[in-house]
Amino acid sequence: MMRRKALGTIITVITVIIMLYELFYVNITKGGIGVKGAVSIDAALLASAFILILIGPWLWLGEVPVAIKKFVEAKTGRRL
Amino acid sequence: MVPILVLLVVLLIYGLAYAFYGKRLLEQRVVRADPKRLTPAWEKFDGVDYVPANKYVLYGHHFASIAGAGPIVGPAVALAWGWLLPLVWVLFGNVFIGAVHDYTSIMASVRHGGVSIATISESVMGRRARYVFLTYVWFAFILVLAAFFSVCADTFTRVPTAATVAIVYMPLALLFGVMVYRLGIGVKLGTAISLVLLVLAIAYSFYAPTYLTYEAWVVVLALYSIVAAALPVWYLLQPRDYLNAYLLWTFVILAILAPLMIPVFRLTGPAIRSFVVTGAVVGAPAGTPPAGAPIGWFWPMVPLTIACGALSGFHSVVGSGTTSKQLSSELDALLVGYGGMLTEGAVSSLAVILPAAIAWDFAALAQNAGISADVMSGALARIDVNMTKTPNILGLVGAPARFYTAYGLTQAVAWSRVFGMEMFSDLLVGFSTFAAWALTAFMLTTLDTANRLSRYVWVELFDWLKPRTPRLHRVLTNRWFASTIAVLIGATLAYPSIVDPVDPTRTIRAYSILWPAFAGTNQLLAALALLTTTLWVYAILRVRGGSALLMLAPAAFLWTTVTLALIIWLIFIVPHLPLLYMVGTGSIVAASVALDVLLISLFVRGLRMARKA
Repeated sequence: MMRRKALGTIITVITVIIMLYELFYVNITKGGIGVKGAVSIDAALLASAFILILIGPWLWLGEVPVAIKKFVEAKTGRRL
Repeated sequence: MVPILVLLVVLLIYGLAYAFYGKRLLEQRVVRADPKRLTPAWEKFDGVDYVPANKYVLYGHHFASIAGAGPIVGPAVALAWGWLLPLVWVLFGNVFIGAVHDYTSIMASVRHGGVSIATISESVMGRRARYVFLTYVWFAFILVLAAFFSVCADTFTRVPTAATVAIVYMPLALLFGVMVYRLGIGVKLGTAISLVLLVLAIAYSFYAPTYLTYEAWVVVLALYSIVAAALPVWYLLQPRDYLNAYLLWTFVILAILAPLMIPVFRLTGPAIRSFVVTGAVVGAPAGTPPAGAPIGWFWPMVPLTIACGALSGFHSVVGSGTTSKQLSSELDALLVGYGGMLTEGAVSSLAVILPAAIAWDFAALAQNAGISADVMSGALARIDVNMTKTPNILGLVGAPARFYTAYGLTQAVAWSRVFGMEMFSDLLVGFSTFAAWALTAFMLTTLDTANRLSRYVWVELFDWLKPRTPRLHRVLTNRWFASTIAVLIGATLAYPSIVDPVDPTRTIRAYSILWPAFAGTNQLLAALALLTTTLWVYAILRVRGGSALLMLAPAAFLWTTVTLALIIWLIFIVPHLPLLYMVGTGSIVAASVALDVLLISLFVRGLRMARKA
């Protein structure tokens, strides 16, 4: 569990850094992310971030929030 | 005829339909919804797919998922009949068919533990019906995935800022989910924070294009679909669709406001152009002989053209797929299912058909608005429309162009009365771009849901394996594995280009060979879904008399209409297509007709048995 959380945290932090770097630094200095009609490193990095931002926080925060679990337990009376 | 009259008639019909046909008849007399009965979201809670949702969040999800490109593209193509005939079909289809199969699919699924409408068919039509239905639905989803990968990748390549919007949207949607579910921030405050950030992000994205090739986008979207379909619904699907619904709602509210701001403008489009149009309008591939032939009879062909704007089989699978697994109370289903479909109908009727009726003839619109022809011509040139060559909406190439132009023009005319005529040209560019973004938003949310649904259908297809070889069953129904299968096939159809069999000097995407059959497949699914829920109401809920007839009559009408349309396709279009189309599209249409006959015979048998019981 701890490993999973650590991996999730690392992925999330790296992904956020990539997004901020591409959207603010690369876009402002180059006037866009990537090259028209080609696959550039910048665009590939941002596209990877698009996928990784889904995985990182999920590994980090776990599957079911405690708030939802408790809510369901209270309503159904069954222990999850 | 003036815009405000059309607007009021449409809103009145939807209001009365919701209150009487939806609430009084379907909810209270037919289904007898009970707030005390626990829904599968509670009883089968697993934290991944079965998770209770706030009814407004679920309404946002359902609406954003069922509204793909269909409610916009379909009515824009159907304008070839004039504006009144498509409007009549949208209203009739919404109230008596589309909203009914959406609502009853949700409720039938809720009463059967959250399974799909195809699996429910087993309880009223037998086991054979179930597996035939499930297989057909699964293949239909592959077509949807292929088409949406291709169209989204194409849009991202052509409009690189739309790609950036999609990318920045993701962390904001996740943030909303974390705020509401983990940090305990209320939905209202979470919504306000997320919407402010979203507006800023969208505004920034306008100046931050992301460039990738078409093929690279197909790969990225395929990976995204696999991950998005396997993740828990509370984590991505609910927050993303909920926030997206605000964008889509803004789009619909603007469409309602515009006619109120220009209430007595004369509609410049013809109410009825003709009852028979060319085959291209009903799906014959462009450039083939049937595309130019006069075989597009309004009835029975109209459902193949207007599709999701009036009714859609895809909706019933959404309703009995993701929606029913998240429904918190049976009383929420009316707003989510019936209301969701009426909202989608409002997209077709008020955001596509009415603007087209207002802005049909550009010169007449300029005269109505008190704008000189030169100003109108100059403004249209900024969105690549040449008013001299193309004097009206119908002359524009491609249904999306008709939609952006009509929506943009109507909004620009309305809002230039507030901001001044000198703003007309800028307003036209701004609202046309907004319309393009709304279309992309509709498509992306549908793509998200489509793969999750194909995973559900896949899992239900293999339930017979569970008692025999549990280990194999566990592998096949693993959510990551099941999410990958359909995406791999869909992406394989979307990725390559092939030589166009109609014009060998051009290339087309491979999936295009199969896509013309999708309209028929989807509408047949709608007919089968409505027949299934009608039989469910009759056989399981034991509803009889007028209430049962009010469901049975539209179901029989739809089945007859779609069956005739498919037969016309098979006779007048398929034999005249190039070989590749004949094999691809033709075989799907033929299989659809065969399935249609098989399932109607099972339906009749089921009805007889229910009457005897």
